[in-house]
Amino acid sequence: MLHTAIQRLARLMALLGGVVLCLLVVMICISVSGRELSDLAHGGSLGGLGDWLLARGAGPIMGDFELVEAGMAFAIFAFLPLTQLSGSHATVDVFTQGLGPRVNAALGAFWTVVMAVVIVLITWRLFAGMQDKMRYNETSYLIQFPIWWAYAASFGAAVTASVVALYCAAMRLTGAREI
Amino acid sequence: MTDLTLGFLSFPVLLFLIFLRAPIGLAMLLCGIGGLWLATDGTTVFMARLKSEVFSTFSSYNLSIIPMFLLMGQFATYSGMSRSLFKAAEAWLGHRKGGMAMASVGACAGFGAICGSSLATAATMSKVALPELRKYGYSGGFSTATLAAGGTLGILIPPSVILVIYAILTEQNIATLFAAAFIPGIMAALGYMATIAIYVRLYPDQAGTRPRIPYSARFKALGAVWPVLIVFGLVVGGIYQGWFTPTEGAAVGAMGTGLIAFFSGALTWQVFRQSITETATGTGMIFFIVLGAAFYNGFLALTQVPQELSSWVTAQGFSPWMVMVLILVFYLILGCLMDSLSMILLTVPIFWPVISGMDFGMTTEELAIWFGIMVLIVVEVGLITPPVGMNLFIINSMDKQTPMTATYRSVLFFVGSDVVRVFILLMFPAITLVFV
Repeated sequence: MLHTAIQRLARLMALLGGVVLCLLVVMICISVSGRELSDLAHGGSLGGLGDWLLARGAGPIMGDFELVEAGMAFAIFAFLPLTQLSGSHATVDVFTQGLGPRVNAALGAFWTVVMAVVIVLITWRLFAGMQDKMRYNETSYLIQFPIWWAYAASFGAAVTASVVALYCAAMRLTGAREI
Repeated sequence: MTDLTLGFLSFPVLLFLIFLRAPIGLAMLLCGIGGLWLATDGTTVFMARLKSEVFSTFSSYNLSIIPMFLLMGQFATYSGMSRSLFKAAEAWLGHRKGGMAMASVGACAGFGAICGSSLATAATMSKVALPELRKYGYSGGFSTATLAAGGTLGILIPPSVILVIYAILTEQNIATLFAAAFIPGIMAALGYMATIAIYVRLYPDQAGTRPRIPYSARFKALGAVWPVLIVFGLVVGGIYQGWFTPTEGAAVGAMGTGLIAFFSGALTWQVFRQSITETATGTGMIFFIVLGAAFYNGFLALTQVPQELSSWVTAQGFSPWMVMVLILVFYLILGCLMDSLSMILLTVPIFWPVISGMDFGMTTEELAIWFGIMVLIVVEVGLITPPVGMNLFIINSMDKQTPMTATYRSVLFFVGSDVVRVFILLMFPAITLVFV
């Protein structure tokens, strides 16, 4: 029951992050085409069509750079829960293979707990970072959106990462599941 | 304890944690945090860094190329392009001695041009090529070894995720590195084909034959691979020509392979979700290591270990070539234990200052590019070195009838071909630097 809920949560976050990633891809493609078209139009090689395009406002999307940065941070925080739940973190297991199942289970549990502690720490510091950005009213350079919005989105994703990491640690410690 | 001692002590501690099966990114993060804690006598520094540095690492514009390349590779996997590439290569090469194996290598090279990861290339091509190879009487070990080796082309031929990381670490131009990887990549593909030609002459019973097919059919098969050429040309050519930044290039590539997958009818909602899931876990894994490396390297920089090590090595008066060879051998060994990306993130910040402090008779930029390509190649050899090469396991698990030992035996020939190529590129840096 709980496991299904946690699994759903991790998958949903990954999907949300993936959708943001895809939107960024589409936005970049539009921005790049806009920029190239307006360059061509300014160069005059498109003739009347170029003037028409420029009059319609063809050009790069303003602040695309900043949107990529904000969106990407959210996407990556949103990818962490599934990475943790599916055990996708890279490890070296050549040296522990010979140690037997009990030692390996203990090691696995230990690292899952440490991981949970670190993820919670990161989430907490991210919140503190967000408070800083709110306090100083920092905004992005071009479109001037408050930086803390981006922090807040990432913080939301980081909270789910913490929940999933704590769940994994609890399951390991009680021996209920190997995640 | 001085900071420097602390810095040097952190290596064995880090390796110990990693060998105790700590997730590599976590181990680096712990050593970075612990090191900062001890070096600055308190929690203030690392607690302050955690406030902004995690976010700034995850929101780095340069690094955002990685999820986009991963997404591009995922869409490519489902685009059906692997089949078209194999069909085309097989139409032209299949009738030769060992031709189907050569075709697999050729198709891997083609797939590598739209996919930046070795494991994905090896796995995707195997799904298509393994059954065909077996059908035409190629032995199990030879088939799996060919595909494991061919898979390494995925990362050698641009785009390449590892090269992106290397470029960011050494502050080099990604476009130049991609261009520099091109000729060594082609050399690798030709080298593997030559290896196959030798192999089937030594063991004629391990490969079957297939009749020639008419040229009309060959051209028809070749015609089906045009989307690959367009996407590759647009992405790598566009980045190289400066039409767009590498990140924009990766986005264009993801869009391109996404469209191919969509129009081939393969991109159902189910497949889309699958692609996202794979991209998510791949990205999560990579960024966690990048985060750990950022903290660990931040700590190392504070302790001045890289500078000290570099001046120590220079003061010893070792020949630069000797140092280069030692470093490459080190990578070869470590490559058998650790995944390529962790290895690069862990070692390049230490080795690059050492190498850049020595005189190889070239500019720093040329040196950075040449060193990067050499490292990339030896790291990839680690993927197919028995007994622990990762590609070997992936491919071998896809062919249940073939014992691991058969794969090991055959793959040694490809490792041999790699060693010859490393030697040639080491002796003649000019080959790598043609486009620089």
